[in-house]
Amino acid sequence: MAKNIKKALKDFWYGKPHTAEEGGRRLGELYEDKTGLLKHREWRGVKDTFYYMYMIWGYNYVHMITDILKYSNNPIDFVKGTWRYRWMGQTYLPVIHWFERGLQGMRGEALAASAWHYRAMVSASIQQICNFFNADTRLHGGKENQAYKTSIYANETTCGTMFYPWMDAGYRYIPMEMIPYFVTCHVNSHTVLNYIDAVQSIGLPGDPCPMCQAEAGIFVLDDVPDSAPFTITCNEACDASVSTSTLQDWFFDKPLFSLPMPMQFDDPLVKKYCMKEIEECWKFIEKQTGVPFNWDSMVKRLERQNKLQRDEWEKWEVAGKTDYYPINGVAQALFRIFSTQYGIQGDFWEEASEKVKKIMYKCVEKKINPFPKTRHRVIAWSCAPLYFSNWCTWAYNCWGLNCIINMDSLMFNMEIRTDSYENMLEDLAQYHMWAPMRRMAVGGMHHIFELWEYMEKFNCDMVAMYDQLQCKGMQGVHGLFEDEFRKRNIKAFWMPHALPDCRTVSRAEIRRQINDYMTTVMHEEPLDPSLLDFDDSMTW
Amino acid sequence: MRDLKHLIYFENLLQEANNDLVKQAKAEGKRAIGYTCYFMPEVLLDLPGCFSVRLRAPRCTSPDIATYYLSGRVCHYARSLMERALEGGYNFLDAQMATETCTATARFQEHLQQKHLDSVDDMRIIDNDDFFCEFSDIPFKNNDISYEHFETQLRAHVLEPLHEHFGIDTSDEAIRATVEKHNEICRLINEIGDYRKLDNPTITGYEFHVIQLVSLVCPKDLILPYLRETAEEMKTREPDDKKNFRCKVVLAGSENDDPDFTKLIESCGALVVCDRFCYGAVESRVPIVLEEGKSPLRCIAEHYLKTSNCPRFMPQDEMRARKKRIADLAKEYHADGVILASNKFCEYWSYERVIDTFILKRDFGLPVCSIEKEYINSASGQLRTRFQAFVESVEIKHIQEGK
Amino acid sequence: MCKIGKFFLKFLGIFFAANALLFVVFFFDLDGKLMFNVVEPFLKKHYDNMPRRDRLQEPYDMDKFPKY
Repeated sequence: MAKNIKKALKDFWYGKPHTAEEGGRRLGELYEDKTGLLKHREWRGVKDTFYYMYMIWGYNYVHMITDILKYSNNPIDFVKGTWRYRWMGQTYLPVIHWFERGLQGMRGEALAASAWHYRAMVSASIQQICNFFNADTRLHGGKENQAYKTSIYANETTCGTMFYPWMDAGYRYIPMEMIPYFVTCHVNSHTVLNYIDAVQSIGLPGDPCPMCQAEAGIFVLDDVPDSAPFTITCNEACDASVSTSTLQDWFFDKPLFSLPMPMQFDDPLVKKYCMKEIEECWKFIEKQTGVPFNWDSMVKRLERQNKLQRDEWEKWEVAGKTDYYPINGVAQALFRIFSTQYGIQGDFWEEASEKVKKIMYKCVEKKINPFPKTRHRVIAWSCAPLYFSNWCTWAYNCWGLNCIINMDSLMFNMEIRTDSYENMLEDLAQYHMWAPMRRMAVGGMHHIFELWEYMEKFNCDMVAMYDQLQCKGMQGVHGLFEDEFRKRNIKAFWMPHALPDCRTVSRAEIRRQINDYMTTVMHEEPLDPSLLDFDDSMTW
Repeated sequence: MRDLKHLIYFENLLQEANNDLVKQAKAEGKRAIGYTCYFMPEVLLDLPGCFSVRLRAPRCTSPDIATYYLSGRVCHYARSLMERALEGGYNFLDAQMATETCTATARFQEHLQQKHLDSVDDMRIIDNDDFFCEFSDIPFKNNDISYEHFETQLRAHVLEPLHEHFGIDTSDEAIRATVEKHNEICRLINEIGDYRKLDNPTITGYEFHVIQLVSLVCPKDLILPYLRETAEEMKTREPDDKKNFRCKVVLAGSENDDPDFTKLIESCGALVVCDRFCYGAVESRVPIVLEEGKSPLRCIAEHYLKTSNCPRFMPQDEMRARKKRIADLAKEYHADGVILASNKFCEYWSYERVIDTFILKRDFGLPVCSIEKEYINSASGQLRTRFQAFVESVEIKHIQEGK
Repeated sequence: MCKIGKFFLKFLGIFFAANALLFVVFFFDLDGKLMFNVVEPFLKKHYDNMPRRDRLQEPYDMDKFPKY
């Protein structure tokens, strides 16, 4: 009896322990059947529960409102936009649940640090949403206001860096699909299905990359704000992306500049060509805006971007060499891809990075292991399932698989020199060609096999091999990876998925694949058996 | 119509990549250079001492081992090439001039490439000590910057390796002479193809498809006499008294090196009078013009970027103009409609086909049959039904228009 | 008790009541349940029934733009 009371008090104060042997927390039992909603939130102990309630849940609700007030020219536009656009209303209201899925089971420094990454992403998303709505002619009676005239639309995979030269003059880069498509998949995977279905309804087969399908589907379903007078497109990430541009051009029907990313990027001749194309793109923007390229505007932001890159390297150093890195897999991956793609358009990335570094160094100094139940250090390779980007959180809670780094984070992995225009342009060309899903996926298959190098660098002993079923580039190296895994005796599991489309491979199926691997190949027992099998088929 | 004298011979040449003429050229000491995409200028691979072979994998219906390497979710064409390569069907190749112009074929060619890295074992698929595979970067646009880039790529990744490995003469004079020979092939193919423009054509789409393909897969020197003879034969070839087709169509779309597919369409009553697809003649048989004041290589680079209608091209004006070009072809060849065919898993053409299907019908008034096919068309029954229905719809349209 | 003291107590009472209420919302995921069961279905219905332009009817002018 006394023992039970003591344990109950301990559980109340510290939260229940992780593993089944310790009389664990059984996180799987918190879920309602199918919906993935929580019967109740996890009790993480007094300190972490209230930290979560005030500093994450409450803090973010409040800051979502202050962010809207900060970035919106008129909050009424925000309401009108929410009513007009499905991707807005259906997706962003339940954003706090996105935190919940990514942060489940986290404690202490891991909880705090990972949440700061989420906070920055929410802030950046609200800024983009406001940029859309401030300028959208549909919300302003067809009027092309000043915000419209000073917005630059581009395909979401064109890096924001490209547009720094115009930002001092008040121009904003709005990635056309990042908010309507990319971020929505993470927050609410239901929304994107409408766009995929829309583009297939006009005759597109179901097999092209579903990301590109969704990007085109937003246009088919007339769900893209009319917020800029011209656009830039590119061929990232694949053949389907090239073709998506064609469909988008039809429905956008405004001046469009194609900024190609050459494929054979190791070739110095190719870099020269890419530099020229970037300059052509800048000439196009100058012509469309009437505003010249501003070197100071470029340099100012590049230096901040370089600092952010150096911060990331610092974090990776700790991640690779110690057990004190406090960011979980999903927070690491999404922050990195979002910040590098969107670029410096606010101070949210830097603020979050500073806070996270502080927490990280605290862990280093005090030798705090934020993921104490780590059994395997995992590197995730290829492109991730957007609807289940929080698989890493689940995998840590269930199996002790700690996802240290992923392939997408390793793109854009460089500083850009600012000592001269020529050096800047040369580096920018490289940066442009090292975009997400390209740095490893094109330009020769030896790039994709840099996996071994990064495994060593990040001290990983296991590979989570994403298997995007509709990615032709990755499917095309499937057999060689199998051969190499066998030859090198590397522990690797395949994770089939269809990027944004949770209907093709469900989350439960992904979990089942990992469970099977861990039991039949690794012969391991789950840390939290309640997470092995549960039905969250209807969840966001 | 009387059978073409060399048709059966041509058909036999298409039965395998290492055909009799390829063997003959190899026996004469020439180097066989493989390629897959229009963006790799075949004319440069036909320089004296070597010859181009555009890769095909005829009769490959079950690419099992290739499916292990490339998975079952990439296009059947790439997998079939891979399977044929793994079977040893391309061991005659001395080099592969590769392009990363579509992901699936790029992956296939990367498997052929010997990389000598620690990170991945080379497969040595092509069992030939001399073999090498070299990639060129192909631009996505057709502007001056791209012409210049393409020229430098062709010099660095085609001409120089050919010279270094095999001592091929890559001088301007050699290129000019090769262009001349290439243009003769183009003139002959166009001359033969122009008979498809007649009210009652004296050549079928199938026959033309076969002739065009042999010109892509055989050494030019060796196939040239047969083409000359066929062109002569065509001058006196009489059509059947009664038209044995119900309508004429342009066949446009993705990779297609299967003459039986054209035959299937024609068996349903639609005569294929124009072939605007990868491996077709519309672009590849436009003669190359060598302009004064420009190097022949520059002219070649410009030619291939200017003539291509590939949906890989991204400039806004180009994305739009190529729709109109199909409509113009229908007019030029007096076609009643367009069949748009994309290979399953071909991402470029999946989209392009959707847009063309709407635009050609809506803005140009052309009946369109839009289908998805495999590299080798085992599902011919379903396709036959589609084509028959399309032919009937074209006929009904004619009746309604009082034609 | 002085006025300030009463006000202070009242303030504390309201503060704790508000926090207790917030905690209930937070702990039982009532915000999530509201979004999932009420807000999202309502908005979904709205978006599903929203009149939208048929994009396929839009012009596709072949010569509208120059070479950029």
